[in-house]
Amino acid sequence: MLEVRGFSAGYQGNDVVRDISFHVEKGEAVMIIGSNGAGKTTLFRAMCGLAPASAGEVLFKGDDIAGLPAQRIVRRGLGFVPAERHLFPRMTVQDHLSLGAYPKRPDEETMKIVLDLFPRLAERRRQHAGTMSGGEQQMLAMGRALMSRPRLLVLDEPTTGLSPKLAHEAYAALDVLKRDGLTILVAEQQVPLAMAYSDRGYVLENGVITLEGTSEALAADPRVRSAYLGVT
Amino acid sequence: MTANILDGLVLGLQYGLLAAGLTLVYGLGGVLNLAYGQMAVVSAMVVAFAMEAGIPAVPAVILGLIGGGLFGLVLDSTLLRPVYRLQGEARVLLSLLLSLGVAFIVDGFLNWRFPLKALSLTITGGPVEVLGVPMRRGSMWASAIALATFGGLFAFFRFTALGKAVRSVIEDEEGAKLVGIDPRRILRLILILSGVLAALVAVTQSMSRPVNVAAGFSITVFAIIVTVVGGLGSAPGAFLAGIILGIVSSIAASSIGTFLSLVILLAVAALTILLRPAGLLGVRE
Repeated sequence: MLEVRGFSAGYQGNDVVRDISFHVEKGEAVMIIGSNGAGKTTLFRAMCGLAPASAGEVLFKGDDIAGLPAQRIVRRGLGFVPAERHLFPRMTVQDHLSLGAYPKRPDEETMKIVLDLFPRLAERRRQHAGTMSGGEQQMLAMGRALMSRPRLLVLDEPTTGLSPKLAHEAYAALDVLKRDGLTILVAEQQVPLAMAYSDRGYVLENGVITLEGTSEALAADPRVRSAYLGVT
Repeated sequence: MTANILDGLVLGLQYGLLAAGLTLVYGLGGVLNLAYGQMAVVSAMVVAFAMEAGIPAVPAVILGLIGGGLFGLVLDSTLLRPVYRLQGEARVLLSLLLSLGVAFIVDGFLNWRFPLKALSLTITGGPVEVLGVPMRRGSMWASAIALATFGGLFAFFRFTALGKAVRSVIEDEEGAKLVGIDPRRILRLILILSGVLAALVAVTQSMSRPVNVAAGFSITVFAIIVTVVGGLGSAPGAFLAGIILGIVSSIAASSIGTFLSLVILLAVAALTILLRPAGLLGVRE
């Protein structure tokens, strides 16, 4: 589904992430874990066309999408939910969901899937995004991305700023999506949650991938345990 | 008093229409188009020449609207290209300088070739009585066109997928990209729309007084004042600010004197910005 090879990106000639390679197979849930400032956001933003990439390939369904603008990447079926969410503050939930399907008309079936997944959005269809809580905004960002029926959903720190209860809800929703066959790539700082959810993972430290393995193997790794799981 | 308020409404609708095209382009693309008034004047000249060539008024006006739209499209695909490569304040400044250049060139050319040309669309027929006040037929037509335009804009932004796409770019450009919208194409569309709105401004103004080749800068200046008061990027803000400033300026003109009404207009504008820095319905923080 997704294969990243020798990918580098950053700002003004300074690469924040260097020579990144990883892959996500169809139907998998893969996590990229790392502390604040490790380069997760830079990696995802450049991969999804919101920031420039300086080297490497991003093969999505076999085509190199590196360097394409975000709107073209999205239309190829890669949905991205950025950490800052980028909602439209003065537009309603309904507007967000319709725009999610842009340029197509939102079809009822997808709308129903999204609203069943996030019943809270169904209750707030007329509410403006700017007046919603952080948890609701996260759900809306996810719902908006799902409206285009992506093949791969990429999420950058979906639980940032959420209470533990809402963070669990967000991952419960992702779990439903995964069981329905959606391929998912998630960057996360709150490692235990992501680890319990995903099949495999990569550890990103100071802009390079230092470890990879199945979630069980990573959970058992002493370095991961001390750095990310708080186990000494 | 009723007469003043009615006159103010007529004027206010014109002000609102004036600002709509400018405010949308600014809110959407961070482009301050100082050649906006010249877009209106060029469209007015298209209508004037078309009518001189024997084309009836309505098709001539349609030609003028197409002319305005083309002006916008040409700006978008030539001069504004380097502007779009910049971000934030640099983009505003470069767009301001380049469009000012266009304004000078257009003004200079028109003054040199057609110094006496003016568009005036005379609406025949006597005054219409509104709430006991006789109103000029031309003003009524101009107001009706302005109202219909605002109604059309409102419906476009509220009910159509394309209109919502435009709003999403104003609200959050990256968010718009993430739903598959190309902000550049939306901006091009809005520049064309802005040209058509500028043409409508010229057409409606020419119904109560001639629009001559030198009218460009004053149209731009009024458009900027109304845009700032209404809130950059807000079409409803332009409408509201237009109405308020129109009424203020009409009451000021009759009770204090025309010579001071512009000063009072500016004072009200400055006061609004002191109280609400983002303007009445401002989009940006």
